[in-house]
Amino acid sequence: MSDLVNSEQSGATQRPATSILEVAGVSKRFGKFTAVNNVSFEIKDGEFFTLVGPSGSGKTTMLRMLVGMDTPTEGDIMLRNQRVNDLPPNQRPTCMVFQSLALFPHMTVGHNVEFPLMVRGQSESDRRTRAWELLKLLHLDPNRYYNKNVMQCSGGERQRVALARALAYDPEILFFDEPLSAIDARLRKVLQKELKDIQRDTKKTFCYVTHSLEEAMVMSDRVAILRGGVIEQIGTPSDIYASPKNAFVAEFMGEVNLLDVIGLGGYEAEWVMGYTKHRVRLPVVLGPGESRKLLIRPESLRFVTPGVVTDNIFPAQVLNEFLLGSRKQYHVEVEEGHPLTVERLREEGVSGPTVQLGWDVADSQLLES
Amino acid sequence: MNEPRRNWNWLAGSQFFGTISALPFILLMLFGFVVPLLCVAWFGLMPAKSFSLLHAPSLQNYAFIFSQTYVKSMAWSTGLALATVVILLVLCYPLAFGLAKVFKGGATFVTYAIASSLFVSENIRLFGWVIGLMKKGVVTGTLGTFGIEMNSLLYNVPVIVLGMVYVYLPFMLFPLALGIKMVPDQVREAAFDLGASRWHVFRHVDLPLSMPGILIGSVLVFVLSIGAIAEAKILGGQSIVTIAADIETEFTYGQNWPLGSALSTLLVGVTMVLVFAVLNRIDMEKFLGRAPRES
Amino acid sequence: MIVTRAQKVGLSFYAGVVLLLFYFPLFCIITASLSKKRYFSFPYAWEDVTLKWYEDAIASPQVQEYVGISLKVAVLSTICSLFIGFFGALAYARYSWRWRKSFQKLVLLPLFFPQSVLGLALLMWFNFLDITPSWWTAVIAHTVWIAPIATLIMSIQAYSQDDSLEEAARDMGASRWQILRWITFPLLAPGMVSAACFCVLLSWGNFALSLFTTGADSALPEWLYARMTSGYQPIVPAVGSLSVFAAIALVCLVFGISARRSAHKVAQEGGH
Repeated sequence: MSDLVNSEQSGATQRPATSILEVAGVSKRFGKFTAVNNVSFEIKDGEFFTLVGPSGSGKTTMLRMLVGMDTPTEGDIMLRNQRVNDLPPNQRPTCMVFQSLALFPHMTVGHNVEFPLMVRGQSESDRRTRAWELLKLLHLDPNRYYNKNVMQCSGGERQRVALARALAYDPEILFFDEPLSAIDARLRKVLQKELKDIQRDTKKTFCYVTHSLEEAMVMSDRVAILRGGVIEQIGTPSDIYASPKNAFVAEFMGEVNLLDVIGLGGYEAEWVMGYTKHRVRLPVVLGPGESRKLLIRPESLRFVTPGVVTDNIFPAQVLNEFLLGSRKQYHVEVEEGHPLTVERLREEGVSGPTVQLGWDVADSQLLES
Repeated sequence: MNEPRRNWNWLAGSQFFGTISALPFILLMLFGFVVPLLCVAWFGLMPAKSFSLLHAPSLQNYAFIFSQTYVKSMAWSTGLALATVVILLVLCYPLAFGLAKVFKGGATFVTYAIASSLFVSENIRLFGWVIGLMKKGVVTGTLGTFGIEMNSLLYNVPVIVLGMVYVYLPFMLFPLALGIKMVPDQVREAAFDLGASRWHVFRHVDLPLSMPGILIGSVLVFVLSIGAIAEAKILGGQSIVTIAADIETEFTYGQNWPLGSALSTLLVGVTMVLVFAVLNRIDMEKFLGRAPRES
Repeated sequence: MIVTRAQKVGLSFYAGVVLLLFYFPLFCIITASLSKKRYFSFPYAWEDVTLKWYEDAIASPQVQEYVGISLKVAVLSTICSLFIGFFGALAYARYSWRWRKSFQKLVLLPLFFPQSVLGLALLMWFNFLDITPSWWTAVIAHTVWIAPIATLIMSIQAYSQDDSLEEAARDMGASRWQILRWITFPLLAPGMVSAACFCVLLSWGNFALSLFTTGADSALPEWLYARMTSGYQPIVPAVGSLSVFAAIALVCLVFGISARRSAHKVAQEGGH
């Protein structure tokens, strides 16, 4: 992607596409177990990059290597074109916000924030000035918080103190190890937005690690999805949403319907559910006997009124319905034991327990399983 | 953590059960600890060489103590105890750090190996050093085969300190290890990550956060070694007299129980002031592994 | 992690040296106990190795008597300590009652106390009560010192178990007594075994308290002390070694039990 195209896409925020961190063929093995397997990617200067994956995907191991708390078994980590594999964390110009936040429990908020400045030997007045600025930036009134014990702060306040402390270090890249996972949903939304704002205002490079793709999609410029120590897909949130590379990525994004299909040649396939099979039309050609997953988002499934023609129509039973604000979600079955999720506008409603279920071929995607 | 940890009604009612459960222990302490000590304190006020508690109290024993060489033996005991504490702190900190943070399976082994020594009577273990260090002992004899002739290495002050350091090592090591365990790994990592050097992490994170362990270990060792009796006798011969030995003498050969009691009271006074000062500063619940609860 | 390989090796080496030095005196005692000569001198020849002193020690009626007294004191004070310690631990860690914080300090007090003074104080107290000190007054003295330790060990175990179990039982209508009987006690019971071994061993090795409180009876450490301070006798290292072996055997037993239990736990956790 050229500079020109990139800056056009991201609009107001100017992003020089120079890469700040490059991960080249990195593996990490613990005995026989391979936590990270030959992973390569790069993080660009000033972007909000997110590593996302379920637990056990190797994302935390990857992060620990990036900040220097573990060393890769193989491969290189290059920070501004310098190999930093064996550089200990206290000599790297990077910094991490821990999942537990790891605030110093015996220090005040102010001293926590000043800690990186103190170890650097800055004068007390300089430290204080900087801490004061940072607390203000994070909406913590310095008059109230500077001398407050960190253990007396609320969850959200602690998040901000941890971020202020990391910013005080003035790192080239700021890493985050799921710091928001222990926060309740409402506050998490607020903090996600704040984090994004701070990233934009400070123009720092952020590298965030989380198990929630939703969180990743909200904040990130680019997302890398990890599974079993391997990167499954890497791209902008909209790219990933629009074209998930495989069934894992699609499923990871949230509630989707994945149908097991076996090609019959051409645009025809068999939808296999246990012992029964139904014929479906595909958006692309699939060779005979080839097995794939057909992705249909819940909002693409429709209840078809008699007379309307769509590509695929099946009779189905409605099992449950749930109200999700302005939308309604239904669980329906075409064949017993194989439920599908349908999401429609609340006003639409269903006529009875038996419905005609259908979708446009254009709304479905064929994925590798 | 100021509030009771759960506000459930039924637990508020556990006042009764708490008291009942504590009762056997409290009775034991009352009649096996508190009253005997009051007895000692009172005996210290009796006239010299009496064996009855029914005389008029006076402070003459204390006046006698400060006019005699007992001050010297008190100084010896305090000095030896302080030396033991300092040496053990330096000696045990790296090991405790290893136990708490570095050794994994090995930590259990080291813990058991050190703790097991507690089960062998301390005078047997001290006697081992006597066999090692006496004339033609294991150390001196081995050196002798290399042509380094040596007389007995026993009966001097450094050997007494060696004995105390040896006997009280577990009492420093385990509180220290518990204290260092209380320092969360992530907090240490965060400090490193924020650019702190090893020294900074030790000075600003490890040391303050493991302070409860350091204090408990130090006080424990100080108290035990100021009252120590066997080390100076078995390893030290007659080279110095400790306060505990003075006390024992008054009770046995001296047959002066009031004087011995007065000396004991002084010793207990000094140690208790220290113990209370330290214990009041430490949250023992947290130290013994109850996870701190979020409010 | 943060610790480099070199540091790890260094620390392990250091731990090894400390352990070697730590066991050096015991090695000396065992060495001395095997020497045939009336007056020990090192090094000695292979021909001088003998088990004679062990035979003497085991055959000695005196030693037998002292071992008997030590055992009696150890077992009885352990039983008392476990009983007091179990309820003490409940008060320490399980119930929230008004004086709990003070109680927790009280438990620590006897540990932070010079033992020789405690022994003396008890001696005077017995004297005042007109009780002639004998082995059973030593049981009381040992209990005063060991019960707090038993309480602490069991409290630590009580802390490490999930108190929501008791809340759940309560929620299902169990009375406080039923909770104690069916939940708390079974959960603490394994801990009591190790606490018991700890108590027996501590009493077995204790010297300072026995010195003052056994009166005309004498516990093993006392007898050894008397022999040690009156010149070298080869039976002393032999008896010392036997005492060491007994302690090692008991420790191995405890270690074996706990290792098996934790292996069992791992197997269970790995199962799901």
